[in-house]
Amino acid sequence: MTIQIRKGKRATEPQCLGSQRSLNSEDLLFPNQTGDSKAAVYFQLSNGRFRPPPAHRLIAHHIVDTIAPIFFRVSRTMWLPLRLTLLLLFLLLSPRALLRSGSAAVVSGEEEEFHEELLLKPLPDRKVLAHFHFHSIAPPSKSNGRHHHLFPKAISQLVQKFRVKEMELSFTQGRWNYERWGGFDPISSNNAKPPGVELWAVFDVPEDQVDAYWKNLTNSLSGLFCASINFLESSTMYSAPKWSFRITPGRLRYGTLPREAVCTENLTPWLKLLPCRDKAGLAALLDRPSIYKGFYHSQRLYLTSNASVPAETVSGISLEQTLTVVLQPNSPSSSSIHSGESNFQPSWSLSSIFGRKISGKCVLAQSSIVYLQLEKSIFSEQKDNMDNGPNSLASEGFAGGSGFEMSLDPDIVIEEENQSQHKGSSVLYGFWVEKYNESQPFDLGLKWKYPVFWSSRQAPLHASRFLMGSGNERGAIAILFKSANSADSSSGSRHVSDGCELQVDVFQVVPWYIKVYYHSLQIFVDDEAKPIGDFVHKIQVSPSKDKTSPGMMEMLLKLPCDVRSAALTLEFDKGFLHIDEYPPDANQGYDIPSAVISFPSFHSVMHLLSNDSIRKSPLLSRFQEKNRVQSYTEVLLVPLTTPDFSMPYNVITITCTVFALFFGSLLNVLRRRVGEEERYLKAGKKKGWLRVLLSRLLAKLRGKPMEEPDQPSSESAPLIGKKLVLKVILVAVLAVAWQFYST
Amino acid sequence: MAEIAESPSTTEHPLGTVGASRSKASSSALRESDVDPKTMRTTTPGLKRLFLTFSVLLSFLLGFPFLWKTVEIYRSPLPFGDMDALSKQIESSPLQFPCHFQSVFLNFDSRSSGGILDPRELRSSILSEMTKLTSQTLERQCGSCGENFTLSVVVDSGDRACRQSDERHGNGLTPNCSYKCGALGALNLGDGEAVDEALRSALDESCSDYGGKLYTVVVVNGDGAGEGPKALVGKHRHGWISGRELDAEAMIGRMAEMFVKIFMNGGREDGAIHGEFMPVGADGRVVLSFSLLNANPDDWFYDWDFQKLDDTLLNPVIEALKPIANISVESQVLYHTPKSSFSYWDESLGSYIFSTKDLPFFVNSNEWHLDTSVAAGGRTKILQFVVYVPSANECPLSLQLPSGEISKTNGFISPMWGGVMVWNPQSCIKYSGSGPPARLLMHPDDLHRIFEVLMGQLRQLFGLKSDSIYVGAAGAYKLLPSEKGFTEWQEHKVTYCLLLFCRELDVLSRQHTCFNLHSSGTTLGSLSRLVQSLPRMIIKDEIGKQVKFSLEAAQLAQTNASVGLYEASAASSRQARSLAEDAFFHPSIMSVSYFSFEHCFAVYSPFFLPVSLHVLLAALREWRRYKQEKAKYVRWKVKQVKAA
Repeated sequence: MTIQIRKGKRATEPQCLGSQRSLNSEDLLFPNQTGDSKAAVYFQLSNGRFRPPPAHRLIAHHIVDTIAPIFFRVSRTMWLPLRLTLLLLFLLLSPRALLRSGSAAVVSGEEEEFHEELLLKPLPDRKVLAHFHFHSIAPPSKSNGRHHHLFPKAISQLVQKFRVKEMELSFTQGRWNYERWGGFDPISSNNAKPPGVELWAVFDVPEDQVDAYWKNLTNSLSGLFCASINFLESSTMYSAPKWSFRITPGRLRYGTLPREAVCTENLTPWLKLLPCRDKAGLAALLDRPSIYKGFYHSQRLYLTSNASVPAETVSGISLEQTLTVVLQPNSPSSSSIHSGESNFQPSWSLSSIFGRKISGKCVLAQSSIVYLQLEKSIFSEQKDNMDNGPNSLASEGFAGGSGFEMSLDPDIVIEEENQSQHKGSSVLYGFWVEKYNESQPFDLGLKWKYPVFWSSRQAPLHASRFLMGSGNERGAIAILFKSANSADSSSGSRHVSDGCELQVDVFQVVPWYIKVYYHSLQIFVDDEAKPIGDFVHKIQVSPSKDKTSPGMMEMLLKLPCDVRSAALTLEFDKGFLHIDEYPPDANQGYDIPSAVISFPSFHSVMHLLSNDSIRKSPLLSRFQEKNRVQSYTEVLLVPLTTPDFSMPYNVITITCTVFALFFGSLLNVLRRRVGEEERYLKAGKKKGWLRVLLSRLLAKLRGKPMEEPDQPSSESAPLIGKKLVLKVILVAVLAVAWQFYST
Repeated sequence: MAEIAESPSTTEHPLGTVGASRSKASSSALRESDVDPKTMRTTTPGLKRLFLTFSVLLSFLLGFPFLWKTVEIYRSPLPFGDMDALSKQIESSPLQFPCHFQSVFLNFDSRSSGGILDPRELRSSILSEMTKLTSQTLERQCGSCGENFTLSVVVDSGDRACRQSDERHGNGLTPNCSYKCGALGALNLGDGEAVDEALRSALDESCSDYGGKLYTVVVVNGDGAGEGPKALVGKHRHGWISGRELDAEAMIGRMAEMFVKIFMNGGREDGAIHGEFMPVGADGRVVLSFSLLNANPDDWFYDWDFQKLDDTLLNPVIEALKPIANISVESQVLYHTPKSSFSYWDESLGSYIFSTKDLPFFVNSNEWHLDTSVAAGGRTKILQFVVYVPSANECPLSLQLPSGEISKTNGFISPMWGGVMVWNPQSCIKYSGSGPPARLLMHPDDLHRIFEVLMGQLRQLFGLKSDSIYVGAAGAYKLLPSEKGFTEWQEHKVTYCLLLFCRELDVLSRQHTCFNLHSSGTTLGSLSRLVQSLPRMIIKDEIGKQVKFSLEAAQLAQTNASVGLYEASAASSRQARSLAEDAFFHPSIMSVSYFSFEHCFAVYSPFFLPVSLHVLLAALREWRRYKQEKAKYVRWKVKQVKAA
C-alpha cells in the first residue's frame, strides 16, 4: 500500500527562531512519498518545542505566532527573507520583552513540568473514547517534598514519606468492553482497569517494613482521595504478587476494592493535583454530568520516582494522571439522510459530547495537544469504496473528499508504523490547543459522510470468568479463554505450527472466606480435559489463611497458538464469617476481585516514527513504551450465607428462658410437700380462683352443672392479692433500683 | 425425705410411720382431738426445705461477685487523685518563674546627684514601683514572673568603689554573675549596637554558668546627647538609659517599667494574642506552609525561589525557635485561586480596595487548596502563610484600615491559622501577547519585602510585637534589632525587622511552658472526669502509662521552672502535654463499642431475672411457712404446758 503525503493547506510556517531552525528546516524537506506504509509521518513545526524558551524568545514566539498566518501561502522558497524580516521585527519589539524580563527574571533551568493532552477516538460501536492525559514532572531536587512550583506538594510528600518507588491508583466505574473497544492497544492495556479501586505500589524499604508502609500509604491516600482505600489496610485485602502482575519484582503490594463507588468526590481531589485544576485547559472539558453519564469512566494516577535507597539522596517524580471515558455522542436526528442505517457512525463535536469547549490551554502547561485517533482501515475501505484519484489520507481525510470531515485542520498528522499487517494501525491527527482562546474556542467536530465499519484490535485471547455451582455451600470459579482470532479468522490461522506457544499469565486474588482448593485445578483445552502439567508452565499459590491473608494464585500458561478455547476451573467452599466481619449490606454478596490476564509475549506498542515532537509528548511516548498486553476479567459476586443478625440475642434469650424454667421447676419440686397438698386437695378448702375458673370452664364444656365448692375461697383471695402486691412491689423496687443505677 | 414435718393427722401418709409413731408418743399428755391442725402442731417444724432454699439463695448471692468479676472489663488503674490535683493546682496557681533583675547606676557621683545614692533605698523604691506595675497590669498572666522576682542594685560611681545592695534572698546568684564594678568603664553611647555588644561582654559572659537569665538595666549618667534621657533595649537581656544630668529618682519609674513590661512580659500590649493561642501542635511540631497564589494565571503568573529564601533567611528563625517548637517549612505555588470577597475601585487612592470588614471572606476555602501537609503528623500545627497575587482586574489591591488609611503591610493574620498578604505586581498592565503569558520570577527585593511582612505576621502569631518601639507610660523604648531573624540585606543595607531576641525567647519559652502545663493539666483533668463518668469503658495499660509519664513530666517541668531552667522546663512541659493528649486521644478511648451495662443487662437478665424471682420467692415462702409452723408448735407446746 502506498500512501502519498502532501502538504496540508496550512503548511509550513516554521515559527521558531534560533538554532533549532536549521535542524527543523531539514525536516521540511520530507520525502513526499515513501515506498510502503512504513514511516509516513508528516508534521508541522509551528510548536514543535514544548519547553518554554527564555522570555525574549517566548515573546518573539508569540509575535511570530500572530504574524505567521499572514504568510500562510508563502512558499518555502520565500522563507529565508521572511525569516530575516521576522528577526528584524523581533529586534524592534524586543525592548519591551527585555524590559519585562528585567523586572522579573524568567525561570530557567531544570524545572517542574506539566503537560496536558487529550486523545479522542471513535469506537466501532458508535461511542467515543476520550482519554485525558496529564503529566507532571518534578526533577530530582533537594527540595522535593518541601518546595514546589507546579508539581502537587501532596503527592511529593507522599512519595517522600512512604518511600514509594512506583504506584498506581485507579478509580473505575463500568467495565471496559474488550471485544468492542479493543484489547491490544496501549489504552486498553494501561488504562482499562477493574471496577472500583485498584492500588498497587512498589516501596523502597526493606522487605519487613513494606507492610507497615503500605498500611500508612492506604490511609493517606484514603484521606487524599476521599475514598475508602483505608480498607486495603487489613492484611486480608492485599497481596504481594511475585511475578505475574508486574514484570519488575520487588516490594510490591496489590489490593483492590471492587465495590468502591466512584463519583465526583474522588474526581475533585484528583483534579486538585493539576495546576490549573478544571479552571482552564483541557480539564475544563470535564463536565461532571456528562462524564459520569458515560459507559466507562476510569481515573488513574500513576507515579514513578527514581528514589534510591538512602533517604537523603534526591529523587525526581513523574506523575501521570489519566482519565479515560467512553461516551455516547447523542447523534442529532437531522444529521444525515443516512439516519435509517443503524451502523452510521454518529457525528460529534467536543461541545456535543462534553457540553463545553476548550477556551485555550492551561497557561502552565508546556504542551497542550488534542489528538484524534482513527483506524487506518477506514481509509483503506474508503479507498476501495471511492477509488478516487489521489488517495492521500493526509489531505483527503479532512479535505472533504472522503468519508469524514473534521471541523478544524490538524496541525500534525502521525501515522502508526506497522510492518506486519496494516490492520489495527491508526492515524493520529494532532491539534495545538494554544492557538485557540476564549474568543475562538477549540471545538473539534467529526462528521461522517458514509457509514464505515472497522473493528478494534483484539488481545490474542479473550478472557472471561464466571461462577459455577449452586447453593450456599460450595462452587467453582472458571476462567475461560477464547481465541479472538476465531471470530474473524483472518490472521489467526497463520500461526498454526507445532512449536508455537501462547503464553498467558493469570493472577488471581481470592478473599479468605472463599476457600479455594487449588488441587482441584482443571484445565480444558478446546473443551477437552487435559493434564495440568501439559499447559501450566509455572504456578505459584499462596493459600489463604483465615482472617489473615487472601489466597493468591499466579500461573503461567503455555497454550498452543491454534487454541480455540481454554478453561480453568477451581473449586471452592464458602466460609463463615464472624458476626462482626459482615459488611453492612451483607445480603448483597461478596466480590471476588478481577483476575489479571496478561500476555507476556505480546506488547501493546505503537510504532510511531521517533521524532522530536513525538518524543516530547508524554502521551505518545507512553504509547511507544513496550507494555505487555493485559486485561482484567469480570468481578464475581459470591452470595454467602448471611445470618440473622439478631440471632445471638434470640439464642441467648431462649436458652436463658429454658434454663430458668428448668431451674425454677427443679426448685419447686425440691420444696414441694406432696402429702400436704394432697391433703389440701382432699379437704377442698383451698382453691385458687384460677382453679375455680378452670373447673367452671371445664364444667361448661362438659355441659354439666358446676358443683359449687363448699366454701368460697374467702381467705385465699386476700392471700393471692398479697402475693400479687408483693410481686408488683418487687418489680417496682427492681425498676427503681435500675433507674437509680443507670443514672 | 423421711423427716418431713407433718401435721399430726396424717395417718395415711406414705412416709408417715415415723411421724405417726412420734406423734403418738408425744400426744401422751394431750389428747389428739384437742389439737386443732389449723392453729397448732405437735411436732417441731422441719428445717430441711428452709435450709435447701436458703442454701440456693446463698450460693446465688455468693456467686454474684464471681459473675461480676467475669463480666468486668479491663481498666488500667489511673491515678485519678494525682490527675485532679495537678489540674486543680494549675488552675488555681499559674506557674511563676523566678526572674532576676539587676540595675546598675553608672557614673552617679555623689556630687552631681546631690547626695549619696544608697543602693538599698533605690532597691526598695524600684521594688515598690515594680509591684505596683505588676499588680495593676496583669491578672496573673501565665508565664510571667508574678511577684517571684529578685532585684539587686549596684551604684558604680566611676573610679571609686561601688556599692551594692547585698541582699540576695538566697536566689542562687553566684557572686561572679553579678555586675563587676568598673566593668563598664568607658561606654561610647553613640552607637547602639556597640553599647549592646559591650554590655553583653561585660554582663553576660560572666554569667554563662547561670544560663544568662539575669536581666540588667544600666543607667548611664554623663555624656549623652543634649535631649532628654534615651532608653534602649538591646538584643540580649539588658537595656540602658542614658542621658545627661540624670536624676536617679526619676529613673526609678522607667527602670521598673522596663523590667516589668519588656523583660517580664516581652513588651506585648493588651490587645496582642493571648499566650494560650500559641500556635504549636500538641506534639510540639509546627509546619510553616507558604503558598503563593496566582489569582488568574492568564493575566500573569509569578514564581518564587523559595528554596533560597528558606536556606538563607528562614533557617536562623527555625534554629532560634527550636526550644519552643520543632518547625519545618514547605512551600507551593497555586494557580486560579481568586479571593472570595469583593473589592472596589477607589479613585483617590488609585487602587482596588478591600476593607477590614471583608477579611473574614477573603480566604476562599473552596478554591485555595492549601492542603494540610501529608508530611505533618496527626496533631502537628500547620500555619498557612499566603501571598496573594491579584488578577489584572483587581490590581493593585490594597487593604484599607478602619481609619481609612491603606495598610502598609497589605496583609492580615488570623490567629492559629496563619497570615495572608497581598502582593501587587509592579505594573498592573495585563500581558497582551497572543500566546500564553510567561512565568515570571519574583525579584529578590520583592521577595524580601514579602518575607519581612510574613515574619512580622509570624511574630504576631507567636504573640510578639512586630515593631521596634515600645511606648510605655513613662516614655518610649527603642528596641534594638537582633541578628537572628533577618540579616542585613547586602545590596541595600537595609536592616530588616528583627525576629527574635534572647529576652523574647525567654518570654516565649516561659509562656510556652506555662501554656503546655495548663493544657496538660486540663487534658488530664478532663480525662479523669471522662473515665470516671464511664465506668464500663475499657482503659488500656498504655493509657495508664501515658498518664503516669505525663504526670511525671509535668512534675519535672514544674520543678525546673521553679529553679529557673527555662529550656528544660519547656521541653518537659511539651512532653507532658503531648503525652496527655496521646492518652486523651487514644484510639481505644475514641471507640464507642465498649461493653456497656445495657448490653450486659440484656445478655444476663433473661436467665437471672426469672431464676432469681424463683429463688427469692421460694426462700420467702419457706421462711414464712417456717415461722407459721413454729408458732403453731409453740402454741401447742403452751397448751401442753397449760394442760400439764
